[in-house]
Amino acid sequence: MRLRIRTPFLAAAGLAAGLLLLTVGCSLNIEGQQSALDPKGPVAKNQYDIFMLTLYVTTFIFITVGGALAWVLWKFRQRKGDDPNFIPPQSHGHPMLEMGLVIASAGLLVIIAIPTFGGIILKKVVPEELLDGAIEVNVVGFQWWWAFEYPEQGFYTANELVFPAGRAVKINLRADDVIHSFWLPKLAGKVDLIPGQENFIWIMADEPGYFWGQCAEFCGDSHAYMLFRAIALPEDEWEEWLETQQRDTVADDGSFEPLLAREDWGYPEDKILKGAEVFRQACAGCHSVNPRIQTNGPNLAHFGSRTSVAAGWYENEYDLLYRWIREPEKVKPGNFMYRGFLDRDGRTVIMPGLKDYDLSDEEVHAVTAYLYTLR
Amino acid sequence: MASTVETEHHAPAPAEPVRDGIWRRPLKNTGLVGFLTTVDHKKIGIGYALGALFFLLLGGVEALIIRAQLMYPEQELISARTYNQLFTMHGTTMIFLAVMPLSAAFFNYIMPLQIGARDVAFPRMNALGLWCFLLGGVLLNLSWFFPGGAPAIGWFAYAPLTDRQYSPDMGTDFWIMGLQILGIASLVGAFNFITTIVNMRAPGLSMMRLPLFTWMTLITSFLIILAFPAITIALVELMFDRHFGTYFFNVEGGGKPILWQHLFWIFGHPEVYILILPAMGIISEILPVFSRKPLFGYPLIVFSGAVIGFLGFAVWSHHMFTTGLGVVATTAFAFLTMLIAIPTGVKIFNWIGTMWGGRIRFTTPMLFSVGFIWMFMMGGFTGIMHSSPPVDAQQQDTYFVVAHFHYVLIGGSIFALFAGMYYWFPKVTGRLMDDFVGKIVFYLMFVGFNLAFFPMHILGMTGMPRRTHTYKSEMGWDQSNFWSTIGAFILGVGILIFVIQIVYAYYKGRKSPKDPWDSRTLEWDTDSPPKEYNFAYTPVIHARDQVWEDKYGVEAKRMEKIAPGKHGIHMPDQSWWPLITSIGLFIACLGMVFHKQPIPLTAEAVFGLEIVIFGLVATFVGMVAWALEGPGGFHLHPDPAEYADATPAPEDGHGHH
Repeated sequence: MRLRIRTPFLAAAGLAAGLLLLTVGCSLNIEGQQSALDPKGPVAKNQYDIFMLTLYVTTFIFITVGGALAWVLWKFRQRKGDDPNFIPPQSHGHPMLEMGLVIASAGLLVIIAIPTFGGIILKKVVPEELLDGAIEVNVVGFQWWWAFEYPEQGFYTANELVFPAGRAVKINLRADDVIHSFWLPKLAGKVDLIPGQENFIWIMADEPGYFWGQCAEFCGDSHAYMLFRAIALPEDEWEEWLETQQRDTVADDGSFEPLLAREDWGYPEDKILKGAEVFRQACAGCHSVNPRIQTNGPNLAHFGSRTSVAAGWYENEYDLLYRWIREPEKVKPGNFMYRGFLDRDGRTVIMPGLKDYDLSDEEVHAVTAYLYTLR
Repeated sequence: MASTVETEHHAPAPAEPVRDGIWRRPLKNTGLVGFLTTVDHKKIGIGYALGALFFLLLGGVEALIIRAQLMYPEQELISARTYNQLFTMHGTTMIFLAVMPLSAAFFNYIMPLQIGARDVAFPRMNALGLWCFLLGGVLLNLSWFFPGGAPAIGWFAYAPLTDRQYSPDMGTDFWIMGLQILGIASLVGAFNFITTIVNMRAPGLSMMRLPLFTWMTLITSFLIILAFPAITIALVELMFDRHFGTYFFNVEGGGKPILWQHLFWIFGHPEVYILILPAMGIISEILPVFSRKPLFGYPLIVFSGAVIGFLGFAVWSHHMFTTGLGVVATTAFAFLTMLIAIPTGVKIFNWIGTMWGGRIRFTTPMLFSVGFIWMFMMGGFTGIMHSSPPVDAQQQDTYFVVAHFHYVLIGGSIFALFAGMYYWFPKVTGRLMDDFVGKIVFYLMFVGFNLAFFPMHILGMTGMPRRTHTYKSEMGWDQSNFWSTIGAFILGVGILIFVIQIVYAYYKGRKSPKDPWDSRTLEWDTDSPPKEYNFAYTPVIHARDQVWEDKYGVEAKRMEKIAPGKHGIHMPDQSWWPLITSIGLFIACLGMVFHKQPIPLTAEAVFGLEIVIFGLVATFVGMVAWALEGPGGFHLHPDPAEYADATPAPEDGHGHH
């Protein structure tokens, strides 16, 4: 006997229930690392509030319009035993009703439009009361990492944005290759970094915290690996961090020997010194270890005190760092550390990469250990 | 064979002009030659549909590979590059090679029948459109087989990632030139449909009696001719940047990457409506039929369609809220975007109004239509959310947006197009698709679709950016991604069953009468499938839902029929030149891709512009010969039984063309 499907409503209701369960299940991680539903600063909070407002308004429409739709489908369905030749009244419309619904929808939109306007301005302009004590950071996006410059103090760092909690951070955004997008979901949404133009975003964390951010605009092979961290520190730790960052970490005699006291190196001296030599030959062309100089690659002064490597993809642990330097092409396909820099034609090498150096395992171990002495 | 056309339908024919040599136009209307030279809008429509369904499956397979890669965190099923190529090709394929041509298939096949025309205004141009579509699709997908493979730039190909410095391989050039040919296909089609609808309506078929689908064809066609020039220009500029050293989008030479975004989205946003308005047209045909009521608020639905099309040109920057526009521009584009919710809402209200008080039959086309309303409504709600720039600041470029546009494009466009295929299949083939299997397809697609895309809302709000080939488990996205992949495969199974069903029904389906659904519009008054000349008589229209009025209406609203005159029905000749012209264009575009590039078997670049010039010459020859072969045409004499109830044509009658 032939099965007949007569109950689309049951199916729809079942589906709705299933999706609701799924939503609840998946929403348990609403406090996930990059959740915009867990705002920790005034800009993200404002965006969250407007999102919730749109959610309420659309849920209201869903219940009323969707309810009407469901009722109509149920009420006017052809039932078993109905006369198949029945012709319902051929009504053509109801202009007053239609215009009423148009006006009602316009009214609902106004409810969203008003806070929207406030939100647009808030994201663009730091409120006056927060200007006092605000700091400024310049961000430049590269394939596939971030340079952070603190212009007031004149030093650079990379992939970890450190700032004081409770104070506004004015961020100027630029890109030097392709378009990227600076996105800190828990603090301020996102703004793109576009070559040839300077963009602006400001962030503020209500409390000290550790936040994850990620590039949101597709920017080539390793776009998925372009993350960063934002670390909001209490005022005293922030002052201390600022002071540390401005200190040199290697000798300025060209030997790249760490300035860190030898008893704190944590590895055999010859290993570190070998690492310094490898760094000088293979890495220093792109990576500056002087906090006041920015070159092609991420600035590595004070690398040893960072929490993540490879633009936020790995935690900063010895084995992971080793892997990143040993086989960068596997960790981050297409990266310039491996490939070197190419000319505008995309083919001519103008700066060699690790593929041209053929480092031994021992040399990679040495340079890995060496990097941890930069702090 | 050449004479069967004559003998099949003819009483002795009046003398036809004799043509010789290269101007002799092919007469064989069967087999391969018949297909390659056809100018019949119905065959062209079927060509569009078959091509679009093929590319729908191809784009679907690409999507499933994407979903398989994302099923678990940090999987390495495919490389980052392959993933990036897949989402680029998936998006481009689904938009330009699946949804648009599937809509074009309906424009071609159904619209002339709905207005009582014998063909479109420019039959040879129509053929050119089909060949350009197919060859454009081939060109784009050829990229897989060349060094570097398919483009990895995303379907909106933001500069300067498309610069030779960042995308040195040929994939991007295949993308540029493929889209150029596809643009030609869309443009010739659009001009043709506008001319057809404006000039070739049956007597009495005033604009406000047009079936809604024909209205949406008209509006969509206007959108195409106004929107496509913008992307044509953008693509030419990008081509010059890549091949001739200009700096339109390159900062070093004073160019501006943001220029690409403006040019792209002033095309790209109307494109969204180019994808959805035909779907709305289809729904507006099907809901009245299976509710046994006329469309509620017909004038308002037509008007709101036009308003959506018009506003569609004033909201492009809502794709660019995070690019650092000023406060005024951001606010203006936000409010204009919100306005679009109103005409869209009007359509939903009126569709509900159409069913209100009706007698609803849940056939397969009706289920797809109702599914469309539910899911389009969901897509509309999320659209309202990111019309607000502060909300968009979080949602832009995340899976929330991916969820949004798949609700609109699959839940919306694809479901409506499937509704249309189930609805019009009996008209096109004369056979019915099984309703029970159709419902299984619907439920699989509906459940699979929602399971695949609903969790993406959560993914987006919890921070997953789109276009990332992998993710870390710490992010908390594992569950949603897992279920999404399961849903995608269920959706895929549904579509696979549909394909098997449609092939089966074509050969083995039950025979359909000419009006199996008790429909309302003119296409159901002719045979299933319609004869070459569509209508043996000239219909004279007296009402909006003419076929319904013929069955159930008052005497005064019945259709009149005028018999063909003594010369019979004038039909256009077939022609080789549309195919040759399009092949010339294809060669020119392929030549542009090979320009100064090393191609297989050659380490160095071997081609300058030689191939381009050869292709353009071929195109030019095709166009000149096209013009010189003249309008041609011949006359057919249908069996008088087909117009038995028609009044004789006036004496001077040459018949209705």
